[in-house]
Amino acid sequence: MIYSLLAAGLIAVNGGMFTLMIPMLVYLLAGFLFSTDEIRLEAARRLSAERISPHAETVVTVTIINRGASLEEVLIEDVLPDDLQVASNHCRHLIRLPRDSSYTFSYSVTGPRGGYGFEKVRATVKDRLGVTSREVRLEARGQLFIFPPVTRLRHVTIHPRRTKVYAGTIPARAGGAGTDFFGVREYQPGDAPRSINWRASAHSEDALYSNEFQQERVSDVGIVLDGRIRTNEFAKGHSLFEHSVQAAAALADALLLQGNRVGLLVYAAFLRWTYPGYGRVQRERILYSLAHAKPGGSEVFSGLEHLPTRLFPPESQIILVSPLHEDDWMPLVQLRAQGYQVLVVSPDPVRFELSYLQKTGNVALAARVLHLERKLLLQKVQRAGIQVLDWDVSIPFDLAVKRKLSRPPAWMRAVGR
Amino acid sequence: MVLSIIVGSVSLAYGYFEAGLDAPARWVVSMGMIWLLAHWRKLYWFSSFAFFLMLFTAAYGVWMELPTAWMLLGALGGLLGWDLSDFARRLQYAAPTDDIQGLERRHLARAGIVALLGGGLAYLSLVIQVRRLAFEAAVGLILLAAWGVTRLVMRLRKY
Repeated sequence: MIYSLLAAGLIAVNGGMFTLMIPMLVYLLAGFLFSTDEIRLEAARRLSAERISPHAETVVTVTIINRGASLEEVLIEDVLPDDLQVASNHCRHLIRLPRDSSYTFSYSVTGPRGGYGFEKVRATVKDRLGVTSREVRLEARGQLFIFPPVTRLRHVTIHPRRTKVYAGTIPARAGGAGTDFFGVREYQPGDAPRSINWRASAHSEDALYSNEFQQERVSDVGIVLDGRIRTNEFAKGHSLFEHSVQAAAALADALLLQGNRVGLLVYAAFLRWTYPGYGRVQRERILYSLAHAKPGGSEVFSGLEHLPTRLFPPESQIILVSPLHEDDWMPLVQLRAQGYQVLVVSPDPVRFELSYLQKTGNVALAARVLHLERKLLLQKVQRAGIQVLDWDVSIPFDLAVKRKLSRPPAWMRAVGR
Repeated sequence: MVLSIIVGSVSLAYGYFEAGLDAPARWVVSMGMIWLLAHWRKLYWFSSFAFFLMLFTAAYGVWMELPTAWMLLGALGGLLGWDLSDFARRLQYAAPTDDIQGLERRHLARAGIVALLGGGLAYLSLVIQVRRLAFEAAVGLILLAAWGVTRLVMRLRKY
């Protein structure tokens, strides 16, 4: 516009045009004179908690320090990772930052399960009149993990064919020290007198017999979390995946508490493998992996036939958490044939879909057909010697496990139930 | 901001009205009203367009040899209106807990000083008139002004 006025003034030989130009020139000149060449801002970030549960809140505190010249107008904006939301206060502030001063602001964020990385704080610096604008990105890293909720399970009964040498809670199919009766064998020196089976010994004239109990040991357990879109995602954005993640977290927690060596494989668009391990550190690793787990689809992993069985020790326990697809039957049978003990925890997709669909005659009929198909599939799987927990997700997972997978009390085991 | 828009558009309209150009005067007043309405509806993009129109109207008025003082006041009002509208847009990003009043106070003071200085210098240029200036000197001054403006704009573009 200044150039236009200049040109117009020259063409029209009119000094008035130059007069109109003067206020704008003064304005630009003032902006230029008051602009800051040197911007030396530093940022620091602190999170009140780095690991929270879904939709809980954590307070993010950001401090901006000005080491350079006085800044008259600074727009500070903390760049939030996708999916995180500000729950209270604000992550954007318009401030004046004098030389060698600092400004601290706090806000709380919340979000769904996931791993989030805070990286930069954006600062837009304007001069006194707002003529010049400079944007700088200040490094202020932080991490937030929103872990899936872990439901405490009292006991998960599994029966792998092979156990490890350490004492645990899984029946080892071998005689020794334990609680459950295993068999009777000839007395050996060193056997406790109270282990002598007097009734059996009475049948023999020259030998004593001792009771043997089943050894209880730990085992290798591989949890496979099915994250395929074709099995987890449904119409209108509904997904069973969060339930599957919750089940996997609860199972991993319970099995690790029992002393087992647990690994996790997330089977989605790609494979995410958490190497087997023991204890609390492994629990953290698995929860970390579950926090990052996302459903995905790929041509390669659309079926379970590409499940990398070599990751799991031979004859160990595999727990597949999957809503199951009708094509999954054969790969499961093959797993069983390879000697793995397989347990399928299957969130029921039919009941899940039915819970949010309108109750019409057609829906009811379709649900009935699908329910029969699913029942047939589960029966086929069970007939192959695979243990199945059909989980209606409207029922809490711990309750479903208690009904199907918990160890019966000692008196019930004693009477053979 | 409202005051600067009203002063700017009314000055321009008065300048045109005084010269007997009623229709352009009414258009200028209407434009001022639309600008106010746009600001109320938070259509901040309109302020740049309105400023351009006001400046164009002022330049046209000067070319038509209407009173330059009124045209200058109109352009100055437009400039202030545009600046304050942009500032209002920036203030939208502030959190309610920020010192908005302090920012407003300081910006108004600065914009006021710059407007007074710009207006004063422009008025001086109207009052002080060099009776005799050699053609070569005039061309030299104009070239110098163009070079200065170019340097200024280039420097500002860095930001």
